[in-house]
Amino acid sequence: MLWYRAWVESRTRFLLIAVCLTLFCAAVVLFHGQTELVLTDALRGLRSRTFSEHIYELVYSGTAKGMFAILVIFLGLGGLGRERTHGTAIFTLALPSTRLQIVITQMAVGLLELAVLSLLPALLIPPLSPLVHQYYPFTQALHFSVLWFCCGSMIFATSFFLSVVLAGEYTAPVACFLVMMLDAGSSALPTTRAWHLNLMWTMGDFATMHWDPGPNLLLSAPLPWARLAVIALLTLCLLAAAVRSTRKQDF
Amino acid sequence: MLWYKAWRESQGTFLMSAAAVSLLCLAFALLHKEASGGISNEPLTYAVYIWKIVYRGYLREVFVILVLLLGMGGLMRERDNGTAGFTVTLPVSRRRLVLVRAATGLLEVLGLAWLPAVLIPSLSAAAGESYPYAQACQFALLWAAGGSFIFMIGFLSSCIFAGPYTPPIAGFLALMAYSLLSDLPVAERYSLDVHDLMSGTGRPWFELSTARLISPVPWIPAAVFVLIASAFIGLACGITRKQDF
Repeated sequence: MLWYRAWVESRTRFLLIAVCLTLFCAAVVLFHGQTELVLTDALRGLRSRTFSEHIYELVYSGTAKGMFAILVIFLGLGGLGRERTHGTAIFTLALPSTRLQIVITQMAVGLLELAVLSLLPALLIPPLSPLVHQYYPFTQALHFSVLWFCCGSMIFATSFFLSVVLAGEYTAPVACFLVMMLDAGSSALPTTRAWHLNLMWTMGDFATMHWDPGPNLLLSAPLPWARLAVIALLTLCLLAAAVRSTRKQDF
Repeated sequence: MLWYKAWRESQGTFLMSAAAVSLLCLAFALLHKEASGGISNEPLTYAVYIWKIVYRGYLREVFVILVLLLGMGGLMRERDNGTAGFTVTLPVSRRRLVLVRAATGLLEVLGLAWLPAVLIPSLSAAAGESYPYAQACQFALLWAAGGSFIFMIGFLSSCIFAGPYTPPIAGFLALMAYSLLSDLPVAERYSLDVHDLMSGTGRPWFELSTARLISPVPWIPAAVFVLIASAFIGLACGITRKQDF
């Protein structure tokens, strides 16, 4: 029942994001010829020489990635704090389940939704590409899905934690967005650049892509497992902190 | 009383946004030597650096998102909270409720747009650099015009969609769709890109090499966006009048 409740609470947000990502990815693939012509005129420098570059620049390192990162903030907003504002927190707490169960179910449903969203481009781009006589490798798409899920879960956890500790309807999303901007800004400094702290760069495999003349594809480097493990650890810490805060809160 | 209600409802988001914009201005001005290396491999003049990081880059993106969230003030949000019934029984028309809420939000957008204009020149002086007040004020006017348009996208979205988080998502997606469409050559021809208006990118009144506005404030494009925002207010009033709470 808790799983169903968490799903009902988040499904509008999830479905809205999923529909938009689907439409965007489908449009990028199906109208790639027209898009390239338009972008050549409108945004100089974005012209893609090949289909894989086109996909990388618009989906994995461009608009879709930014859209995904910002919308995951809203997917992560959960916890019992919002229910306190609506006056429903006491009913939820009266359910025959612990606070831990309630919060962990919300997190699990959110992370499952995030996994589906991360997989969406991989499920769409490779199968749609042959329709326009192009090819995009599934392994490459899956590579980015892993990156999107790992980095997305960090954004999700930050948003979830902030929505537990901060009051106010839009305080948590604003704070989370600022944390993301702070991360992007501080990691661009010459002194911190070598640490690869920028989550958005990790998501888009920034500066590690290489050109393979054989299959004529823009390919990524192997997954940065050590960095992803650190991100996963930080995610777990944030989620644990959210659970701990919820257990101590007074409703 | 309605003005006070609207202010109380939005003050949290506004004050947090103002604090964020102020802190970013402070950081960008005082850490300009470090940050300049982060945004470009080539040495930048101070004016170009400020334009890249404040008026075109990071701060403008933060401003756009904050303004969109400030717009979340429609009555549909109150329905979700269970307070819409009380609000619509106040002895004022729904039109007036919407107008006051929109006006309060637009004043807050104006305040946010002027913050960099007040802070950047004074903080630049403190950091041993200089940035002209005239330039900062012109950008503030452009941000106010562009910001009012973006605010109204958020506001309209919160008048149409219920729930706490659906309106910001819908508003953000609408803004994304608009941004993509405004890059089409047809839209470019009519200067319909609000982001370009706010940063000056590719516009005849802006000189890219010095990153300065070279002619007086482009009143006509700015007025077009204010007019569109005003039309959106009318639309929000019409939608709210027909809704069932």
